[in-house]
Amino acid sequence: MNNSNRSPFPFALLKFWTLRMLPAWLLIAFMIFLFQIAICGVVHDNERVKALIQYVEMLPAFIKALMGGEILEVGNIAGLIAIGYQDPLVLLLYMLFAVGVPTALLAGEIQRGTMELILSRQTAKLHVYICAGLITIVGMYALVLVMFSGTIVATKIYDFYQEVPLYFFFKIAIVGGMLASAVGGIALLAAACFRRGMAVSLTVAFLVVEYFISIISDWWPRMEWMAPLSIFNYVDGPEIFENPGWPIGDMCVLLSILTISTILGGIIWHRRDLPL
Amino acid sequence: MKAIEVKVLTKRYGKAVGVEDLSFDVEEGEIFGYLGPNGSGKTTTIRCMMGLLRPTSGWCSVLGKRVMHGRATQHRRIGYLPGDFQIWPGRTARKSLRVLAALGGGNGLKKKREELSERLDLDLDRKVGTLSKGNRQKVGIIYAFQHSPDLLILDEPTIGLDPLVRQTVLELIREVAAAGATVLLSSHDLSEVAAVCRRAAILREGHLVELAPIPQIVQQGERRLKVWFANDAKIPPVPADSLDGIRVIKQNAESLEVAYLGSADAVLKWLARFGVDRIATPQTSLEDAFIQYYRREAGHEQ
Repeated sequence: MNNSNRSPFPFALLKFWTLRMLPAWLLIAFMIFLFQIAICGVVHDNERVKALIQYVEMLPAFIKALMGGEILEVGNIAGLIAIGYQDPLVLLLYMLFAVGVPTALLAGEIQRGTMELILSRQTAKLHVYICAGLITIVGMYALVLVMFSGTIVATKIYDFYQEVPLYFFFKIAIVGGMLASAVGGIALLAAACFRRGMAVSLTVAFLVVEYFISIISDWWPRMEWMAPLSIFNYVDGPEIFENPGWPIGDMCVLLSILTISTILGGIIWHRRDLPL
Repeated sequence: MKAIEVKVLTKRYGKAVGVEDLSFDVEEGEIFGYLGPNGSGKTTTIRCMMGLLRPTSGWCSVLGKRVMHGRATQHRRIGYLPGDFQIWPGRTARKSLRVLAALGGGNGLKKKREELSERLDLDLDRKVGTLSKGNRQKVGIIYAFQHSPDLLILDEPTIGLDPLVRQTVLELIREVAAAGATVLLSSHDLSEVAAVCRRAAILREGHLVELAPIPQIVQQGERRLKVWFANDAKIPPVPADSLDGIRVIKQNAESLEVAYLGSADAVLKWLARFGVDRIATPQTSLEDAFIQYYRREAGHEQ
């Protein structure tokens, strides 16, 4: 095939899909942004913090671990703000985007019957996958940056009785963005392999199991050996706060998961006969 | 140059055969009929031609380029209408068509789009989800024709359309062919194939059972003879044992209509023994011929 017959990158499809996903992204981003401001609104006030800590102390240990564990204490402003980064609601919002977007774009278009139209134009199959991948991975990363910007805005709105270490939050945002993108990569792999329902089920099941492993290994010392098996283990908040350097090892693991899952998904997508 | 070439194409889905050892070609500027009942492999062949399915073996080429699975070989020059045309229901037909046109680098097709929507009497500003099945099919027709392609691959294009719109679509097909485009018309509606095509291929259970000009296909089926006997003549029983392939279509007090295969010689010699008033040779339709192909092929297998 000569060069003149190569399909140009389908920017029209990228734009079309981006605009379709934008309302969902904006809604999720807005909720995450507001949540960060709300958390800061609670934790900047000592009395409210005490009430919050008392409430958290009443919860079972694993739920406390889920919300940040031992870093939740009066006077540890950074730890308290970090609740907003690992709260189940925030994680659920991320999961919604990570699972929803690639399955809606790849498996969803197949199920609707419109993938056949897209592929019948001057559009290479792999380019279609790249479009879905870009929207998923960039969208996930952008959500994390929105979360960080929520923290920045909150520190301007509220007066804290100690300095908020924004640099550490920036590090968490960068590494968290890698985690979010890796999750997006896994969802993309599932969407490239299966029909929509199956892709959603498998990705959600994978994330729930991974999160469960993360909590169990964090909360139960005998299960500590399982920690490396969880993707969530590679964003270690306390470690990031304690250590001024970047967690290069964890970042490499997340980047590898993203790369491997995305490339594998691309190969499978390209090779398989789509159930048109 | 051949507009379409299919060479020993085989596509299997696990153990099931989609198509097997299929070979045919379509000349440039030709309107080619692709006939077969549901599940005969028409859509599988077309999807292989479009690079949407990976052939198990064999190959296709369109407009002189070998089709590569997953790559848009010549799609800018192809107008494709899938068998089950679906489009984004929440968007207007106009917006959806614009996006699809832009994917082929075909911006600026507004004039053609408007012209087609006018001819098909379709409001492009309605959301596709609110359109009837027939009107959605019209959107599909516009989608296939809007960029004035050199090759049109139409899978059941008139399905769900009323007879008037069907005529308009057939006119559109004739017009593009007259302008030099090639059309592959897949259908199980034989009358529309006969109306526009010069040649056709007939597919059965993934195998090509005939590839010939339409008149030849019609002739190769059963032939018919209607005989009115003289007033006092008694209608004789048909000697199916001595006349191979003969069968009674219709019989009443005065006349007998039979279908036979091959030469009329033996049938006429048998009839000459009786008092015949007059005879007629009813035209075998493409539909009859088509059904005969299936009956005959099935008989061979048994």
